[in-house]
Amino acid sequence: MSTTVTDPPSAAGNATDLAVEVEGITKRFPGVIANQDVTFAVARGTVHAIVGENGAGKSTLMKMLYGVQRPDEGTIRINGESVSLHSPADAIKHGVGMVFQHFMLADNLTVTENVVLGAEKLHGIGAGARAEITRISDEYGLGIDPRDLVADLGVGARQRVEILKVLYRGARTIILDEPTAVLVPQEVDELFGNLRELKREGITVLFISHKLDEVLSVADRVTVIRRGMTIDTVLPQDVTSRQLAELMVGSELPTPQTEESTVTDRVVLSIADVTLAGAGRTVLEDVTLDLHAGEVVGIAGVEGNGQAELVEVVMGMREPARGRIELEGTDISDWDVRRIREAGVGYIPEDRHRQGLLLDSPLWENRMLGHQTQEPASKNGILTNAAARTDTERIVREYDVRTPSIHVTVGSLSGGNQQKLIIGREMSHAPKVLVASHPTRGVDVGAQAAIWDLIREARREGLAVLLISADLEELIGLSDTIKVILRGRITGEFDPDVVTSQELGSAMTGAGKDAS
Amino acid sequence: MRHTVKAASIMSVAALALTACGGSDSGDDATSGEGGGSDIKACLAYDVGGRGDQSFNDSAAKGLDQAKDELGVQIEEVEASQGENDAAREDRLNQLVDADCTNIVGVGFIYAKAIGAASKDNPDISFAIVDDASADSAGDNVAQLVFAENEGSFLVGAAAALKSKSGKVGFIGGMDVPLINKFDAGFKAGAKAVDPKIEIQTKYLAEDGSGFADPAKGKTAAEGMYDKGADVIYHAAGGSGAGVFEAAKANKKMAIGVDSDQAKTAEKDVQDVIITSMVKNVNVAVFDYIKASVDGEQMSGPQEFDLKDGGVSYTTTGGKIDDITDQLDDYKQQIIDGKITVPAK
Amino acid sequence: MKFSPRRLVLTLAAPVLAVVVAFVITSLVLLAVGDPVAKVWSTLLSEPRPRTLVNIVNSAITYYIAAVAVAIGFKMKLFNIGVDGQYRIAAFAAALVAGQGWLPGGLNIVLAMLVAMLVGGFWAGIAGWLKVTRGVSEVISTIMLNTISAGLVGWGLRTWGTRAEGSNTRNTTEIPESSQLEGLALVADAPNRVYTLVVLAVLVGIVYWFIINRTRFGFDVRATGESESAAVASGVKVPRMVLIAMIASGAVAGLISMPAFFGADHSYGLNFQEGVGFIGIGIALLGRNHPVGIAFAAVLWSWLEKASDGLQLQAGVSPALVYIIQGVILLAVVIAYEVVARFERRMEQKQVTRQLDTATPEGASA
Repeated sequence: MSTTVTDPPSAAGNATDLAVEVEGITKRFPGVIANQDVTFAVARGTVHAIVGENGAGKSTLMKMLYGVQRPDEGTIRINGESVSLHSPADAIKHGVGMVFQHFMLADNLTVTENVVLGAEKLHGIGAGARAEITRISDEYGLGIDPRDLVADLGVGARQRVEILKVLYRGARTIILDEPTAVLVPQEVDELFGNLRELKREGITVLFISHKLDEVLSVADRVTVIRRGMTIDTVLPQDVTSRQLAELMVGSELPTPQTEESTVTDRVVLSIADVTLAGAGRTVLEDVTLDLHAGEVVGIAGVEGNGQAELVEVVMGMREPARGRIELEGTDISDWDVRRIREAGVGYIPEDRHRQGLLLDSPLWENRMLGHQTQEPASKNGILTNAAARTDTERIVREYDVRTPSIHVTVGSLSGGNQQKLIIGREMSHAPKVLVASHPTRGVDVGAQAAIWDLIREARREGLAVLLISADLEELIGLSDTIKVILRGRITGEFDPDVVTSQELGSAMTGAGKDAS
Repeated sequence: MRHTVKAASIMSVAALALTACGGSDSGDDATSGEGGGSDIKACLAYDVGGRGDQSFNDSAAKGLDQAKDELGVQIEEVEASQGENDAAREDRLNQLVDADCTNIVGVGFIYAKAIGAASKDNPDISFAIVDDASADSAGDNVAQLVFAENEGSFLVGAAAALKSKSGKVGFIGGMDVPLINKFDAGFKAGAKAVDPKIEIQTKYLAEDGSGFADPAKGKTAAEGMYDKGADVIYHAAGGSGAGVFEAAKANKKMAIGVDSDQAKTAEKDVQDVIITSMVKNVNVAVFDYIKASVDGEQMSGPQEFDLKDGGVSYTTTGGKIDDITDQLDDYKQQIIDGKITVPAK
Repeated sequence: MKFSPRRLVLTLAAPVLAVVVAFVITSLVLLAVGDPVAKVWSTLLSEPRPRTLVNIVNSAITYYIAAVAVAIGFKMKLFNIGVDGQYRIAAFAAALVAGQGWLPGGLNIVLAMLVAMLVGGFWAGIAGWLKVTRGVSEVISTIMLNTISAGLVGWGLRTWGTRAEGSNTRNTTEIPESSQLEGLALVADAPNRVYTLVVLAVLVGIVYWFIINRTRFGFDVRATGESESAAVASGVKVPRMVLIAMIASGAVAGLISMPAFFGADHSYGLNFQEGVGFIGIGIALLGRNHPVGIAFAAVLWSWLEKASDGLQLQAGVSPALVYIIQGVILLAVVIAYEVVARFERRMEQKQVTRQLDTATPEGASA
């Protein structure tokens, strides 16, 4: 993009002005590549934001900077010195501290007690520690009274105590993981005031977020991560939030080209006026949506706008407060998961490790999962292991699942192969509807193309596919229709053949008016 | 201790001398070890806790040691593991038989069924059981060693009444079983002998063995009694007694111990509230049983060890009842002489 | 998984490793306190006398059923600490019913076992119900139910039990002679016999294995235990499964004391064997919840326990040593399994990568 900043930032020619440099970091987990060749640099005394969709690999990256995890490849340099961090204590020693999204404070202790806990050696636990806390608080304008009981503090103040804790331990670089997620708008403003103060005092802040407006208002530089890779580092004044969104979700020319339309006019799954109440707010409101045989309906939206809940309602994991869901004319809105799956709704869950697989079980047992009640998994309540094994061999063959054997645990496969197994499993029961939630998240490029092909093939065979994805490329390339979901409502419908990523991006953030 | 209830003792008998002559216990501290006991092997099977429990098992061990020293018998001892059944206990007794024991004592009534079975399988071996006189353990070759706890309790009941200023005393039992009822009955009789109008509160802690191992319950019960005006409480509640002593300490009242001289064995800081203890001299019973065998007079059937035999007694440690020992000794003599008959239930 | 020699080695590696570690640590403990190391091991490893052997088997029968009861919970990641209370109250109820002798001989036994399963299942079901409807941790509720059951049984024994003259224990009515099982003379030269209801333990083991490994229900149980979220997505109704698993665990717990009851005790009284539920937890861990593993673990446990008397008599060491050995073995097994499992996982991943790299040059990596 035109907004790209050359790396390292030209303003900081001198290497010692870089607080943190990350070069070629790669981290693999069984089945997932969390980070791949991540490279960026953070200048001292700046607020540097790392943005990316959920699952893009931000947290893993930060954990490596904080010594919780270690990279498989690549180097981390702090203040120009190459370091190998084995633990958070190591990180602290190098002046790197982290404030987690979930606070780690003991409510029934005072601020002082919380701060000195585990760092008693620095300034003792008494007056010396209190004086130091007051000094830090004054220096950075945190406004913390060391004698306050943490239980009496509000969320914003607790967060400042966390920041103070890190500073107390001598950190000069602070990582904040989604710090605004727990704050109300006024507190966010306050926090940003604090961050500017810290910056002025020469502290470096690494700020992780996916809220683009906030990032643009506070960051000096923004690094975008997608699919575990650094996409770009940009200056906030050079980009709009829409452009940033495109960077996050991918806006290159859609490679997964839909072929000729196979859409029929036969409605297979009909969602009508579905409303779902969540904790204190409505997470789905009057969602209406028809899936036709041979149609892929893509749902676009920024994470957390109701996509996951929509899937849960369709799959029967949650019951809607209002509205109907019909599968070929039968109301299934109060059916349970098993009945819905038996009725012919295939499911590719968003998080295959949590929802789609038993990682410590062999492939053939995973072949049964979700279809326990059906052949070839069981007959009259008795498992038919041999039949399941035979069928697993077939899936491995037909869906190109690369594995030495069907007896290895599924957790030892790569993410793409796990996903292919899931798709093969779901397709083996002749579903009428396929609910595919982020089907290519966390899989490598090769497998991604294969999975796209499989979905296209399903569509050709007359399936109705509900595709939820954060990857606009994928949505545009696969869908026959794209619906945009925003704050639990369907706010727009687009034709993927003509829509641009920009248009989609603005519809997703609610910025554009081009939504129909 | 819990072992008040669960105790077993073993004894050995002279080789084949199966003369069943009962009640020949001499109250004196045993004498004359003839040294003729070398072919006797006396063995104890303890309940959980074993030697070193500062109480019931220890007392039995003391009798065994005395037999070894004074009678020259060989000894052997085994203790139980937690959560056993009768088969395990029976197996333990049989292992002692295999180890050439001639006299085997089960310490505690929990051994009753096991002794009953093992004695039938090994008619040539002499068995004894402490604290049980039921049909479960009975047999020609079984001595059932029981104690006149009611007599000892009578004396401490008298002491309680003499020491009480409020005219109110209390009894706390670990469990409502005949064994503990005996303590209760003796205590009441003793207190009433001193003061017929005395008010006696009674409380049993539990329906099962847990009443002997729950100091918190003992403390609650004792506090209730002290609140209602009692100033001396006698407990027959094993480990729960520790709670009774704590309550006495907190309320600046008095308490009476049981089984062993608790003014010596209880926690240091509560020892001064214990004015006396009703001691059950298991050692005397164990020693007498072994000695009978050495003397060629095999014990069998129920054997009660009473005040006269020194099977039960009261203690004066701490000097809290020095002023009334004359009166107590007078009651003791009357019981021994048969002028007072102490009820057992 | 199937027929892989490496897998077989790994499966055996954990218990062997554990036993070796336990052997070494125990020897060190013995050395430290100055006990005769060689004598202890020779006593422990000597062949037990026939009578003791029968007792070992009998104990193991009881422990086996207890461990299966616990294992049913473990399979679902439920920690049923309440097996102890469940079997106690079930045993008492069964003893009351069986003592009445309403039905002749064998039928009386069957009736009593049904009562025991019902009562045990009901008692565990309370904890399951609390967990499902109120979110109460089964650990907490079952501990409380243990205490309540002790109180209830104490009260019941006082109300319905009888006391023989001169005895300090109270017992329920003895079951009629026609319902007393004489036992099986499986060990030559032993004066005592193996409980007839050893067949019950075997049956429990087979049914347990079959249901867990061969039925759809068992698959749901395993799936829930391995990943609750995946189970939910696969259509398992977890709350219902929790309730069923608790009840099943309690029902099996109810059977724990049946072999000893019909084979030896014949009535419920103060001499009732306590604490078997807790022993079951250890054995289930040791046997890795596997029906065959549990059998070996139960025998090992019982063997060690019965060695206690011999150790005191022949080696002159404290019976507490047996607890130490049991504890060390348990710890060693848990650790060894974890170590081996991690090693296995890593090996497998490496193997997968290696095989795929050679087989398909384009590989699965991007």
